[in-house]
Amino acid sequence: MIEVLELEKEFPKKDGTRFKAVDRVSFEAQDGEIVCLLGVNGAGKTTTMRLLSTVFKPTYGTAKIQGYDIVTQPAKVRENLGFLSGDTGLYNRLRVHEFITYFGRLNQVPDAQIKSRMDEMAELLDMKDFIDRKIEFLSSGMKQKVSIVRSIIHDPPVMIFDEPTSGLDILTARNIISFIRDCKEKGKCVLFSTHIMREAERLADRIVLIHRGQVLATGTLEEMRAETNQVDLDDIFVHYVNKSNTEEELQAHEF
Amino acid sequence: MNFKTVFIVFRKEMLEMLRDKRTIFTTFILPLILYPLLFVGFGSIMSRQEQVLEERGAQIALVDSVQTEVSQSIIESIGENKGFELIPYTKEAKTLLDEGELQAIVSITDSTNTSGLSVYKVRVSFDSSKERNLLVYNKIKDSVNQSKESNIASYLETKAIDPGIMELIQVEQVDTASSQKIVGSFLGMFLPYLMIMMLVAGAAMVAGDLVAGEKERHTLETLLVSSAGRNELVIGKYLTVITVAMVNVVVNLFSMSFSMQYLLGSAAELGDFTSIPIWGFLILLAAMIPLATFFAALLLSLSTFSRNIKEAGSYQQPVMIISMLLGMISFLPSVEINTLLSLVPVVNIALLFRAVLTNEFQWLHVFLTIGSTLILDVIAIWATIKLFNTESVLFRTEDDTSLKNVRKEKRNLFNSFNGTVIYAILLALLYYLGQYLQKGDLLNGLIQTQVLIILLPPLLILRIFKLKPREVCRIKAPKLKEVALVPYIAISASVIVILIMQVINMLFPFPEKYLEQMSSMFEMTDNIWIQLAVIALLPGICEEVLFRGFLIRFYEGYGKKAAVIISALLFAAFHLDPFRLLPTFLLGLLLGYLTLRSGGILNSMLSHFLNNAFALVISTFATSAWLEYIIKDSDTIQWWLIFPAAIIFVVSIVLFHKVTSTKGEEQWESSDT
Repeated sequence: MIEVLELEKEFPKKDGTRFKAVDRVSFEAQDGEIVCLLGVNGAGKTTTMRLLSTVFKPTYGTAKIQGYDIVTQPAKVRENLGFLSGDTGLYNRLRVHEFITYFGRLNQVPDAQIKSRMDEMAELLDMKDFIDRKIEFLSSGMKQKVSIVRSIIHDPPVMIFDEPTSGLDILTARNIISFIRDCKEKGKCVLFSTHIMREAERLADRIVLIHRGQVLATGTLEEMRAETNQVDLDDIFVHYVNKSNTEEELQAHEF
Repeated sequence: MNFKTVFIVFRKEMLEMLRDKRTIFTTFILPLILYPLLFVGFGSIMSRQEQVLEERGAQIALVDSVQTEVSQSIIESIGENKGFELIPYTKEAKTLLDEGELQAIVSITDSTNTSGLSVYKVRVSFDSSKERNLLVYNKIKDSVNQSKESNIASYLETKAIDPGIMELIQVEQVDTASSQKIVGSFLGMFLPYLMIMMLVAGAAMVAGDLVAGEKERHTLETLLVSSAGRNELVIGKYLTVITVAMVNVVVNLFSMSFSMQYLLGSAAELGDFTSIPIWGFLILLAAMIPLATFFAALLLSLSTFSRNIKEAGSYQQPVMIISMLLGMISFLPSVEINTLLSLVPVVNIALLFRAVLTNEFQWLHVFLTIGSTLILDVIAIWATIKLFNTESVLFRTEDDTSLKNVRKEKRNLFNSFNGTVIYAILLALLYYLGQYLQKGDLLNGLIQTQVLIILLPPLLILRIFKLKPREVCRIKAPKLKEVALVPYIAISASVIVILIMQVINMLFPFPEKYLEQMSSMFEMTDNIWIQLAVIALLPGICEEVLFRGFLIRFYEGYGKKAAVIISALLFAAFHLDPFRLLPTFLLGLLLGYLTLRSGGILNSMLSHFLNNAFALVISTFATSAWLEYIIKDSDTIQWWLIFPAAIIFVVSIVLFHKVTSTKGEEQWESSDT
């Protein structure tokens, strides 16, 4: 499971001021649950994901993945984490099975287990035809499948997907969606980020609305509908954004 | 660290390298075909060239103002050379010679020496800048010598003396250098240089790809999210660079020595040269490894810093040029490795190479060379791992650094990039324009340099950006307490700096020419006040405005300490004087500290003035009686002065630090000791 506790990330800007990309964000995701981080571009989704995957260090707060702290135990966190993003590149000069084996080994998976897991996934995702081919000759759909296998080769209990469908055609995106559902069925804890409302509606058990680095609302779709009296997620989203804007204005007027 | 993971990374990177056609071509195929083509082609062109010269013969104009039997025999002997055409001297001969139509003009004159004998003088005029003429001259010389000997022999015969007397004294040349030494000294000239170049080229080829390439292809993040540690990734990649660099050296050496043997075998002039000692190559390769590790670490850290392969390439270029220049030291026959030079990176390996090839090396130098290289190596790897942990470096995005944008935002002027560019331009100006200005009148040249190159540009730039010099350069009245302390600081620091110069002089004696140049500065005018103005007052103002007023601003984003250190480095390098690098650096630290600590530039101006004035006084009055307590042998100052100077310096700096500490201003300790 994922527990995010007041996570904050500040970046220095070129003019010397600082800018909070993630501002005291807290939420959690249970095993066997799909949580969607929903927000427009630049809302702080990717930064949150990078903080959770230990690529960034938080300036305040922390998060726990399977109980391991992202600040003090980053190596343990990465062992328990599968990470997949839409713009992940691959090593073009490697063959598919070499590529997957490489990441399996980097994650300390025994060779025999890598082999059996790869065969199993190849069967599942219909990859047998190109498992021996060089990655540079693959189509983007095939590449995405390779990325999927790469992300799950060490069978992590927590999966993080950062805009997994961005830039993909419908068919390939469907593959990802069904893969995310599979992960849930296997009891994994899944966190995925998107700016596409439809995707969040279809997949998420719970939604975390994030805007300008802050969490606006957390809850299931039904709860949000009840609270806002809106049906469509688009409208719900706009409702929350407007609400936070007016709150800010009110605060500004008070001073 | 898990070495298994390191090996996994290494194996994957090597596999990728071997799959890259470009790498395979430049590492294996190119050297294998390039050198044979180059050497064989070069060899055949050379031998053809010589043949052509022989066949083409020469046109030689002749003036025989003696017209005797002897002069005739000289002319005949010259004319016997194949292809030589002798033509009578005409007025146009000189122009023909200049135009290359004629190869030489030979004129024979005579005179009578003290014992009454006729003496012949053969003058050969030729243009030695053309290879062909040199060849012709040598042939003429040989012919003249031949006829000289036969003439003397026949003269001796007429006097009934045995011509064998001419062989009375003979010089025999015995070369005691072993053939290994000859080969070694020849190879030692260019092999180190070539090997260093191949090493850098090989390392640069892959280093850019390994990290900057991963950024470019969006694979780095995936790698960082895997459970492999950052240091394991770095070391794995690092081993890859070393391996490719070493393979590049081995393949190039192999191909080169093979084709060289072919070339020299066919020319057959150096004889023994064909037997290049194999063991020597092995030692050289072993000696190459520390350097390979150093370059690998350095280039990998540059690659980590870069956004993409292209940027990595442009950062690699200065490294390649600098190592090329440093490696060229092996071409200088007079420079030999010593304890100090074995601490200078690249230079030490180049010189050690030559020493190993001529079998004249000391193990101390080997250990120092390898040891110092390994220390640098560890630092560079550490830096790479550090960079790998710096998220702002790993996820750098494109900056807009176009000039238009810079001008738009005044606040943006003062960043380190702009500072470095401005500094580089001024340095180039100083080098070219400054040298030109000081060529004629040194006094005026120095004034113009200070005002035009050092003071004017920062003021102009501030003007363009509509910034107030008074504010930017911190021109404000200092406190009385500060001003009272500055003389103590400045004079004691000057003494310390002069003593440091004396130590440097002991380690690396200053060349005669350098000393002359230095003293010419103090002797350009007899008027001590003008000297004081030009040597002390002007630099005190102009250089302070540029370095402590203007340039230091560009680096304050890194913090005050870093700004002081960087501005001191720039200041030291600006003097374009390797001997004064350390003293000027220390002085720069002090002056930067004074400015930033007190928030005003006038303290450092005063300090700079006093320092230069002190040096002027010492050198002008070195022989005066009143300075004999501190100066011995009229040129060095007494060593014991270090004690009072150090004490005064420390005390006055501590006081200065106290005097300038104000509430609210952030505290920071002295950065120069």
